[in-house]
Amino acid sequence: MPIVFITSPPHGMGRELARNLAENTGWPQYSREQLVEEAHAQGIKLSRLETSIIKSPIISEQLAWEKERYLSFVTDMLCGKIENKNLIYSGRAAHLLFPGVRNILRVGLGVAMEMRIDTASRQLGLSHEKAQDYLEALDEDIEKWIHYVHREQANDLSHYDLFLNLGNLSLASASVLLHKTAKLQDFQVSDKNLKHLEDLHLAARARLHLARDKETAGLNLGVRARDKVVTVTYMPRQESAATSISQALNSLEGCRENLCTMAETNILYIQEHFDPKMDNLSQVTQLAKRWGAAVELIRLVPKGEEAEDLIEDIRPEPLSDNHKNTATYTGGVEDDGPDINTDDGGLSETLEELVAMGRSAGGSTVVGSSREVIYAVKENNNYSLVILGNLFLSKGPQASTRLTRELGLTLHDKLKTPVINITELKSEFLFGKAQTFKLIMFSLILLCIYSLVFNFQKPILNVIGGDLHEQWKWAAAIGITVFVPLVAYIYGTVSGLLLKLIDID
Amino acid sequence: MEYLIATFIQINLSTALQVVLLGFIGGVLSGFIGSGGAFFMTPGMMNLGVNGVVAVASNITHKFGKAMVGSHKHGKAGNVDKKLAVYILGTAIIGIQIAVAINSFLFKGGSGHGVAKGAGANLYISLVFAAILSVVALSMLKDVLGSSKSGSTDSGPSRKIADAMAKIKLPPVIYFKVADITVSLWVLMPIGIATGYLAGTIGVGGFIGVPAMIYVLGVPTAVAAGTELYLAMFMGAYGALSYAFQGFVDIRLTMLMYLGSLIGIYLGVYGVKVVNEKYIRMVTSVIILLCVISRAIAIPMYLRQLGLIDIDPAYDIYFNMTSKFFLFFSGISGCLLILINVIRAYFQRRGIQKTLRVVKSTAE
Repeated sequence: MPIVFITSPPHGMGRELARNLAENTGWPQYSREQLVEEAHAQGIKLSRLETSIIKSPIISEQLAWEKERYLSFVTDMLCGKIENKNLIYSGRAAHLLFPGVRNILRVGLGVAMEMRIDTASRQLGLSHEKAQDYLEALDEDIEKWIHYVHREQANDLSHYDLFLNLGNLSLASASVLLHKTAKLQDFQVSDKNLKHLEDLHLAARARLHLARDKETAGLNLGVRARDKVVTVTYMPRQESAATSISQALNSLEGCRENLCTMAETNILYIQEHFDPKMDNLSQVTQLAKRWGAAVELIRLVPKGEEAEDLIEDIRPEPLSDNHKNTATYTGGVEDDGPDINTDDGGLSETLEELVAMGRSAGGSTVVGSSREVIYAVKENNNYSLVILGNLFLSKGPQASTRLTRELGLTLHDKLKTPVINITELKSEFLFGKAQTFKLIMFSLILLCIYSLVFNFQKPILNVIGGDLHEQWKWAAAIGITVFVPLVAYIYGTVSGLLLKLIDID
Repeated sequence: MEYLIATFIQINLSTALQVVLLGFIGGVLSGFIGSGGAFFMTPGMMNLGVNGVVAVASNITHKFGKAMVGSHKHGKAGNVDKKLAVYILGTAIIGIQIAVAINSFLFKGGSGHGVAKGAGANLYISLVFAAILSVVALSMLKDVLGSSKSGSTDSGPSRKIADAMAKIKLPPVIYFKVADITVSLWVLMPIGIATGYLAGTIGVGGFIGVPAMIYVLGVPTAVAAGTELYLAMFMGAYGALSYAFQGFVDIRLTMLMYLGSLIGIYLGVYGVKVVNEKYIRMVTSVIILLCVISRAIAIPMYLRQLGLIDIDPAYDIYFNMTSKFFLFFSGISGCLLILINVIRAYFQRRGIQKTLRVVKSTAE
């Protein structure tokens, strides 16, 4: 019972392969062309988005909003097409859809340019040269599209599970190969995957719902969903819309509760186990209060350390064409299934605490490492800070420190957001005893420097532009170049600490 | 060498406070606008009687330390593309050298005696200042008014030029990971030279460097600001070293400027977080235009000192006073507007703590 996403270059036989596979397996098949038609029918101006990204080079808040709406629409449509945990989808950058959802078979197709030119000239009635120009321009545009919409490089093969060269394989053989691969244990959709899809689907529907509502359309909102609870963060300038957001979500099917948090920005806090009473959390909320930020929690469970019930969920089904599990994905509107997460590492309790404080931006559990974290947050990436708490605890202190540092570097690189360890939080952003001591010491040093310079102006002038300068030009120049940044550093530290003391940072 | 000491002004408590105030206003504007600040501080010091070259030299030295602190902060936020900075720096040094050579020539080798000594450099600096900043301010104002007319809420920079530049594949073509751009070295070079030249001439590099990186190279705004500060650190060091070698850096002025500017920068940056972007650009362009007017008013005085026009020297004081009025009016009013918003946001932010929870009565 697999979900197969096939990416091929334009006129690269992707749709034909998907159709062939669907005929052989009986799995439902859907293509980007159908998706585009549906988008037009629902009033989503896809061509405007494409033109904006590819041709009219304005990067704006409006474009980001359109992009988010498009991705929500795609998620909504594809989730709706999944039948008995099966779906074959072929289209542009299909392999990059549903980031972070495991067990989806993501397939790439390699097709020689000559073959594509032949297909394009046959299908579009173009000359060989024109078809080549057309395909080259199209490839370039798609590269831009992938870069902007998915924030990935088009030529990055690491996102594929399987890459087939159709130059050497017939469609029929490729289809057989895909069928066999899809039956492997690694590509069987589990209940855990379905739950993840439900959350994605609910968040997507919530975004679309808010975009269609007169009162909330056009607002720049952060939307998250977990266990049928939708969390929305909005900017202080949108304060008047808070009630409208709640009212709009009230009529959203499958949403049992919604939380609307006003925040200027978000802080992402990643940890293995949460506890609402821990000191670390109070430091994070203290910072959130100063910044007017909402806190999003991610419980990161390293691979291979999933709780027994989680392992149960992702345990693959036996290889068989007789589908024993006939559960149909219905977008989270069906009756509650068995409770999968009995122990969520204190996540729910901590979220409750944040809700009570008015600081919740939602939370989720991610199994894996940095890659999975990035998948989980990249669509909602408006963080001012990422805080790494206690992670990789079972690996021992040294390995834990190293792995946490590596995770921090990757997140910093990918999300372009400052990442710090929870132990650094106090010294970097909060004001404690160490900061008071530093402030006093640096202030005293500064006082000495300024007193010396302004009490001995004549000798100083002599060094910077008088006879001494004439004799020791290089020494004076180097002295000034070293002395000035030193003063800047000391005074910068003093002024920074003073402003931190009164909560301006 | 005694004449160089005479070039430095006497600093009493009143002068010191005025320099600190200049630093503070420059700092607030610099933190708020994202680049510069020198456009206010350089002419401000000249109005206090500081020689143009000394004002530029002290300011570029001040900028060096300030950029060091700022780029460290930006670096932590992942906004510095060091590779891009190194490439621009290579060419910017040529620009700085040209600027230092011209300024030194006009100061030392130029004609004139007494008051006229240095008037050539003052005139040259004022002319470059007025010309460049007029273009920057008017383009910014046109941009703001244009988007207001169209009712657009889009605030993103156009990528038209950047996309055209990206098509120039003249080798060597370099990829910059943090900025995520690929660009030919031949496109980078003129930007570097122009940035270096302006930093060395009027102490204002960011006004050219930041927009050039955004509009010509397609660098994201935050990365452009961070990279410019990183660049400014090296250009500032080089400029400071060059001017200090010539004996033009007055570290007393630099230190007094720090007293105001570093606090001001923090407040300006805080203001950016809480004020609407259109408002930021509108305030910025008006402030810069008033500074340009202030400098333009002083130009006849320098022309007279050089003997190029015939005006009664008694009028100098009026030129100076009017120029000073415009400068301080622009800086103080702009700074006040920013500070009012900062204070309002500060209290508003402390009050933000709200989560609205709605649970459906009919649980599914």
